[in-house]
Amino acid sequence: MKDNGRILEVRDLYKDFSGLEVLAGVSFQVAQGERHAVIGPNGAGKTTLFNVITGKYKPSGGSILFQGRDITGRPPHQLCRMKISRSFQITNAFQELTVFENVRSGVRCLHGLRYHFFRRVDRDVAVNRRTEELLHLVGLGSVADAPVSTLSYGQQRALEIALTLSTDPELILLDEPTAGMTREETAEAIQLIDRVTRGKTLIIIEHDMDVVFSLADRISVLHYGRILASDRPHVIRDDQRVKDAYLGEG
Amino acid sequence: MRRRSGNPGSVFPGIALVGGLLAAPLFLPLYHVNLLTEVIVFALYAVSYNLLLGYAGLLSFGHAMFFGTGAYVTAVALAHLPGLSVGSAILLSVAAATLAGVVTGALLLRHKGSYFALLTLAFNALFYAVATKWHSVTGGDDGLSVNRPNLDFLGVHLDLSDITTFYYFALITVGALIGYCWHFTHTAMGRTVLLVRENEERMKFLGYDTNISRLLLFTFTGALAGCAGSYYALFFEFTSISAISIEMTTTVLLMTFIGGTGSFLGPVLGALVYTLLHDKLSDITDRWPLIMGLIFIVMVLYVPGGLSGLIVSIRERLAGTAGKNAAQPLEGRKP
Repeated sequence: MKDNGRILEVRDLYKDFSGLEVLAGVSFQVAQGERHAVIGPNGAGKTTLFNVITGKYKPSGGSILFQGRDITGRPPHQLCRMKISRSFQITNAFQELTVFENVRSGVRCLHGLRYHFFRRVDRDVAVNRRTEELLHLVGLGSVADAPVSTLSYGQQRALEIALTLSTDPELILLDEPTAGMTREETAEAIQLIDRVTRGKTLIIIEHDMDVVFSLADRISVLHYGRILASDRPHVIRDDQRVKDAYLGEG
Repeated sequence: MRRRSGNPGSVFPGIALVGGLLAAPLFLPLYHVNLLTEVIVFALYAVSYNLLLGYAGLLSFGHAMFFGTGAYVTAVALAHLPGLSVGSAILLSVAAATLAGVVTGALLLRHKGSYFALLTLAFNALFYAVATKWHSVTGGDDGLSVNRPNLDFLGVHLDLSDITTFYYFALITVGALIGYCWHFTHTAMGRTVLLVRENEERMKFLGYDTNISRLLLFTFTGALAGCAGSYYALFFEFTSISAISIEMTTTVLLMTFIGGTGSFLGPVLGALVYTLLHDKLSDITDRWPLIMGLIFIVMVLYVPGGLSGLIVSIRERLAGTAGKNAAQPLEGRKP
């Protein structure tokens, strides 16, 4: 792959909100096909990091390279078409629309059915087939026709993952996909994530350390807007600074 | 295969409507045929406004600038270009309104919510000022009279000065346009507009340029309003500053609200009710806007879904709770 197998390179990234510095020089790299976990205490800047990488916010400084191209400050829709996709910590869907139409809206975008004034969205065989595939993949096939607002919490989280996958991304960023789940639900969700991100590159924000250490190839620890350490799980586990800052004595 | 279309229940009233309209001149006196032509013209205007307000969630107080542009371009073109056909006059109006839509939209859509609404009001005032002051072209306060040419198209010759003939001309052409608008709400663009209204952020992250989609829709509805304005000029055989005034914006707002923004045909119903009310009330008193205003207040307070919303809720009540849990295909904004 390009750039020595690196799919994403974040260099010295800064973001401040009217004086409050949330990201203070974040640098890390993600290799093609890697599963990379971002951990850190609340308020460390994890979601802000995602927001800056995926174009929701423009950084105050620094640069982001995707497949060797500078993508700093590009709007989300362009990044999406470059095959970067993200999920949200709180399900961010079209609540009054059906599950099917939710996922279809990402699929049809990929198929170029965005602003067409004549072609109906519901008659495209390829789009419909791909949408059904995705729904079955995440286990939402039976509720395809239900409005999102009627789904259970776990189903809404699954929908969030389906929406993230709907644009066929190469780089997937998941923001706390298991937040608010019971242990059983978490285990199920992680199995799902493991299955659907195979062959892709994944960056995941996660609080459950068991999940992090079992799923991730590499871990970056974010602390007060800086990367404290970025390495293999066993190295992170034994890192004294990480223990002091985050993992605690346990 | 999955059927992902709108519910057929909302198509049948449309078919009944078309049949009734085609037969109308057979049993209605000319006066009412004329009135119905006016309804058809305003129906297009209201449908275009509802695509903006109901489907895209954009509250504009400036829709009359496109309607007026269409009316003036038709009037001016027919006055200065001898031998211009009806179709060309309408197309010129649509082209002018499209251009106006792109230019004003690019400026207006930088702002959202109430800023957008107030700016549309300001732009409408600007268009109005131009129409009033540019006396040599628009005739200023005197207005312009319009000669409605006859239709010669592909060997078909129609005398459009005849009330019934013009009625059919308007019904078929405008009806086709409204039919297209219905189709539009199921197209990729139509759904995109609605989804952007529902959740703009998610749409951005799904790869949609929401600024482009809003500008396209704003321009499209402007072009439709311009087309309605052109028919308005042809219908009254006169264009005055009232066509581009704030009152013309208020008119379409009233029609859309009376009919209801929650369904596609609501504004068509609104155009019908408004035009008939206007006709009756202005016979009784010169102070008809007062009564219209009261009706509007009552509607907003007690029937926020408009007449179409009222019909839907009555139908649901009659049908009991059946189908209550079924997924409703989301259309215009439900209040």
